[in-house]
Amino acid sequence: MRFVARRLGFFLVTLWAAVTLNFLIPRLMPGNAAIAMMSRYKGRLNPNALHALEIAFGVNAHQSLVHAYFTYLGNIATGHFGISLTFFPDTVAHQVLQALPWTLALVGITTIIAFVLGTVIGLVSAWRRGTALDGALPPLFVITSAFPYFWLALLAIWLFSIKLGWFPESGGYEVTTTVGWNWTFFTDAVNHSILPALTIIVTAIGGWILTMRNNTITVLTEDYVRMARAKGLKPWRIMWTYAGRNAILPNLVGFAMSLGFVVGGAILVEFVFNYPGVGWMFLQSVENQDYALMQALFLLITVTVLLAILAADIATAILDPRTRERG
Amino acid sequence: MSLPTVADPLEPAGATVGSGPPEAATRRSVGGDLFRSVLRNKKALVGLGLLLFFVVLAAIPGQIAPDNPRAKVYPPGLGPSSHHLFGTTAYGEDVFSQLVFGTRQSLLIALLVGGLATVIAVVVGVSAGYLGGTTDGILSLITDVILVIPIFPLIIVIAAYERNSGFLTLVVVLGLLGWSYGARQLRSQTLSLRTRDFLEAARVRGERKTYVIVHEILPTMTSLILASFLGAALYAVLFAAGLQFIGLGDPNSQSWGTMLYWAENNEALGAGMPYWAIMPGVCVALLGAAFALMNYAFDEISSPALRLRKLERQGVDADGADIVPARPPDGKNILEVRNLSVAYASEHGPVVAVDDVSFELAKGEFLGVVGESACGKSTLVYAIARLLGAPLAGEITNGQVLFKGQDMVTLSDKQLRLIRWRDYSVVMQSAMNALNPVLTIGAQMRDACEAHSTMSKRQMESRSKEVLRLVSIDPVHLLSYPHQLSGGMRQRAMIAMALLFTPELIVMDEPTSALDVVGQRSLMVQIKELQEQLGFAVVFVTHDMSLVRHFSDRVLVMYAAQVAELGRTRQLFGKPLHPYTQGLLDAYPSIHGAKEQLLGIPGSPPDLLRPPSGCRFAPRCPHVFARCHDEQPRLLEVDGELVRCFLHEQAAEQVEARKEGVA
Amino acid sequence: MSEPLLRAEGLTRHFAVGKLLSRQRLHAVDDVSFEIGRGEIVALVGESGSGKSTIARLLARVYKPTAGEIYFDGRPVSSLRTRRQRLGYSSDVAMVFQDPYSSINPAYRVTHPIERGIVLHRRELARRRRRDEVERSLGEVGLVPAGRVAGKFPHELSGGQRQRVGFAAALAVKPKLIVADEPVSMLDVSIRIGVLNLMSEVREREGVSFLYVTHDVASARYVADRVLVLYAGHLVEEGPIEEVIRRPKHPYTQLLLSAVPDPRAELGVSDAADVGEPPKVIDPQPGCRFRARCPFAIADCETVTPPLRPIGPERFVACHVAVADAEDAALERV
Repeated sequence: MRFVARRLGFFLVTLWAAVTLNFLIPRLMPGNAAIAMMSRYKGRLNPNALHALEIAFGVNAHQSLVHAYFTYLGNIATGHFGISLTFFPDTVAHQVLQALPWTLALVGITTIIAFVLGTVIGLVSAWRRGTALDGALPPLFVITSAFPYFWLALLAIWLFSIKLGWFPESGGYEVTTTVGWNWTFFTDAVNHSILPALTIIVTAIGGWILTMRNNTITVLTEDYVRMARAKGLKPWRIMWTYAGRNAILPNLVGFAMSLGFVVGGAILVEFVFNYPGVGWMFLQSVENQDYALMQALFLLITVTVLLAILAADIATAILDPRTRERG
Repeated sequence: MSLPTVADPLEPAGATVGSGPPEAATRRSVGGDLFRSVLRNKKALVGLGLLLFFVVLAAIPGQIAPDNPRAKVYPPGLGPSSHHLFGTTAYGEDVFSQLVFGTRQSLLIALLVGGLATVIAVVVGVSAGYLGGTTDGILSLITDVILVIPIFPLIIVIAAYERNSGFLTLVVVLGLLGWSYGARQLRSQTLSLRTRDFLEAARVRGERKTYVIVHEILPTMTSLILASFLGAALYAVLFAAGLQFIGLGDPNSQSWGTMLYWAENNEALGAGMPYWAIMPGVCVALLGAAFALMNYAFDEISSPALRLRKLERQGVDADGADIVPARPPDGKNILEVRNLSVAYASEHGPVVAVDDVSFELAKGEFLGVVGESACGKSTLVYAIARLLGAPLAGEITNGQVLFKGQDMVTLSDKQLRLIRWRDYSVVMQSAMNALNPVLTIGAQMRDACEAHSTMSKRQMESRSKEVLRLVSIDPVHLLSYPHQLSGGMRQRAMIAMALLFTPELIVMDEPTSALDVVGQRSLMVQIKELQEQLGFAVVFVTHDMSLVRHFSDRVLVMYAAQVAELGRTRQLFGKPLHPYTQGLLDAYPSIHGAKEQLLGIPGSPPDLLRPPSGCRFAPRCPHVFARCHDEQPRLLEVDGELVRCFLHEQAAEQVEARKEGVA
Repeated sequence: MSEPLLRAEGLTRHFAVGKLLSRQRLHAVDDVSFEIGRGEIVALVGESGSGKSTIARLLARVYKPTAGEIYFDGRPVSSLRTRRQRLGYSSDVAMVFQDPYSSINPAYRVTHPIERGIVLHRRELARRRRRDEVERSLGEVGLVPAGRVAGKFPHELSGGQRQRVGFAAALAVKPKLIVADEPVSMLDVSIRIGVLNLMSEVREREGVSFLYVTHDVASARYVADRVLVLYAGHLVEEGPIEEVIRRPKHPYTQLLLSAVPDPRAELGVSDAADVGEPPKVIDPQPGCRFRARCPFAIADCETVTPPLRPIGPERFVACHVAVADAEDAALERV
């Protein structure tokens, strides 16, 4: 429990850092990007909302930095992220919530699939060391792990969409379909998400296969694995309970650390596919200089990554009794 | 992106008592060895080749591309042809030329960011690891926060306020954000180095802290620093391309990412200019792959566990061994080892670790196997138990191991599994390493029971409690994890586990060396008591002759992979025949009697890669004569003992067929 | 004969252990006092966890004492402030480490630690002379031909050879005292004697004192003049080595001696399975730390920590029972 509390504390610190970065960056940047943005709001917003934006971006320096900072923190804590320019007059919060499910579905599911598949393939590959399978896999996945996400997305579109016509080229769903909880919409959404999902899986899986393979190989040299062999345990049991369970521990940590890259890549994938998720909206907001929306999305992305890492940490603590004592 | 595991390049293959140098070749001279390993590794070569290819493109683009893409304008939207390898863009520029000229920026970003990020990573990581305390606390916190905050979105946020940021801004931002993973690795490595005495030695002799960091720590981490650089370079290539692709770079710059941006804006894929969209991505992927391959190769180079070596059987099979016609096993013997030889593949060729060893073990007998580092005693017993394999290299190349009449060498894994633990079990040197750290003691006993019997859960539990009581451990510890037990208790728990099925043979590899002197003695007494009580035979490996003196029936002395002497304990200790045994016994200073000057045995054992042609002990033997250097002595029988030494030739009768077990 | 080379008084070292906010203290060394004379080899004997390595490091100034003081050549070590003073101490007190595989930096040739010692402490030697001096050091410890050995990297030498390099590096600074922390325990038995003989030679030739830290009483007897027996951070017995071995007074010393590996001796009587282990001394209560394993423990042992008391010329023991016996014996003699 102590361990979890410490990690939680760390995440709060990180969250605070992210919020503070949001606050500081526009103030540190040369140029008047924020001012330009503000002028587009003028005349369209009530004074309160305008004032909140001024605080967030430090436009009219009526207040001291410290005062502005705490007011800003207060706004964030109460969920007041402002009004979106892109989707005016809708609030940022509302727009973000629209996009969230799409990304959770796409990125959440694909990340889990990629991690699980990657771990299993890595484990099996290490177990069958020296065979042809293991000889071919590492170099292959070393290379695929170096692919840019967006390029693979383009390739996928070109090959499967344009040339072969198997899957739709862009969007989350056909414009003709009615959004809602109906079967047509559901199948349509899934159809549109297959290419983006494949892109993410193919690129992300390589790193996890390799890490798991390397960890497993190292674990296989441990005395307790030899002891398991000495006890005459069945090979698959050794592979799962002895090798796998110990090898996955550092892999979980690796998962957490590489999540940032996956999320970054997912943003690009959504962009290329015009998939209406958080990443796509994020880039839209950058395009439109809709800074309020952009900041909120950045925080959302950070929170999601933090939660995933916390989950990985808890899983590590469950699997490794030593962590629980180290606290 | 490939995340290398932190492998400690300084970890020798077994650093406990007297481990010989040959496989400690994981240590490197700065540069030399590393360079050679790189050349031998295919992945590294491919990666390096790709990198050099791009370096050339970046250096002399004018020579390679047909023209400067800014200069000449062609008809837009052309498909690939002999004039335009990849067609032209929507603005009439030659795609191929653009690719070539775009190399420079991408390569520069990779190398500059890699360098900047690595410098920061080294400074932060090593300082945090070495200085410790609050400094470490603060630096680690900053590192972890930056590590966890998603970098790509953060960079986008930064770039959003300053659009069309120049090349330099891009480099600086990427560099200032991309060091955290490397810092973490370097910090881990530095922390593990802190237990290395050479750092303490440097401080004791008066070196300054900065000197220690720069001159003692950094040179040992060259491969990690290089890996860090390559990782950062990879990240830079991908992120820079990504940023430019979404339009946050300078759209007028010449780079692959910008090409992709314009291609996307002009819907190149659908408009019949696919190569415009695809080829820059190929280049990014190839450059990224170059870094990733080299990074991965460094991983392999720095952890010996990841390298696989195949044994070449030629020249390794026994020649000149004592020929043994097939003989049926003797019923009173539980174990008969005949002409067993084991070899493994080393960096420089095959090494014979066990050379033609034969002995017998009667039921209920206690055999001590003694010898010093690299004599092959551990390899011998693991070969007998059929447990060779990483990291203990080796394959059985010759001989038989007759256990209860069956030749274990010929048994398949499946057949072996049936008799493992039931008929014979193993006790290893370090319980901390031999017990699975994530399973309770009870769980580890349970899976052995499950594998070999149909006991119910309750039966398994009661049996486990029973064996724990046998070694004086409170049965409540079935629920404990290995790290919760003390050292002595862990060793005893291992022994308890070995007794689960009351096997007829237990092989023990230095089970007491992890304990202190008093603990060793009491554990030995306990083992002996159990043996007398339950009647199992023991093969007990140790480097400590005194342990076997009081507890074993017979002793096998090994030297340089061969049997030097084998005989009844009392006889061997009372009148050792082999000069090595004599020297070994004399090397123990005594606390009884008068104080006397001892000599030990000067010199060291021979290099098993190239064993000498004559007697292997000759260079160190006080009784050496000419013949010893030319001819290898065979095993002779003297007074019921076996000894490999010319000194006893007259007294011996040459053993032709089987070496008789000592009655 | 005046001031001993080194005098430790009430040496104490505690470590903070446990979680971040816990105030638990591990008492690695508690109130240890002893002396080392010039040209003397003193053995510090104890098992793992006894605190002997901590004492070695306290003497080498790797740790600062929590309490107590070390006097070297009469001067308190805590008074060393300037870099110059501390450097001076480094040149007087050198250290040899236990693990031949980690005590030399693998990235450099074996001459590196020797050379650095010369550079730091014998600046008067010109660069050219340094090379010769390094080779001379190698020869002095028996690594010949020195020229060839000088070109090697640590992984090309055996464990015994590496330990000799360690001695060469220690000798290169021309020390008055060498603290040897278990220098032979990781070496093969047949090699140990050679290194122990080297220690004796160095003492004869150069007059260097040694603190020989070990868990092996037999090797202590082989090289040392006097012995200090350490248990769980306390000094429990002290005296000339022959004396202590012939007539051990503290029950722990007796236990230790009975467990000494000696292939030529018969098994001792007191080899009964003693399943005790030295305690981890965290926030200890007063009382003798050996009482749980002691066959002679009396009521006082539970509550009063036995101080180190003299029971004869140069003989000290920290045990209520042993001291009482000695007093009785003294009374009887009267």
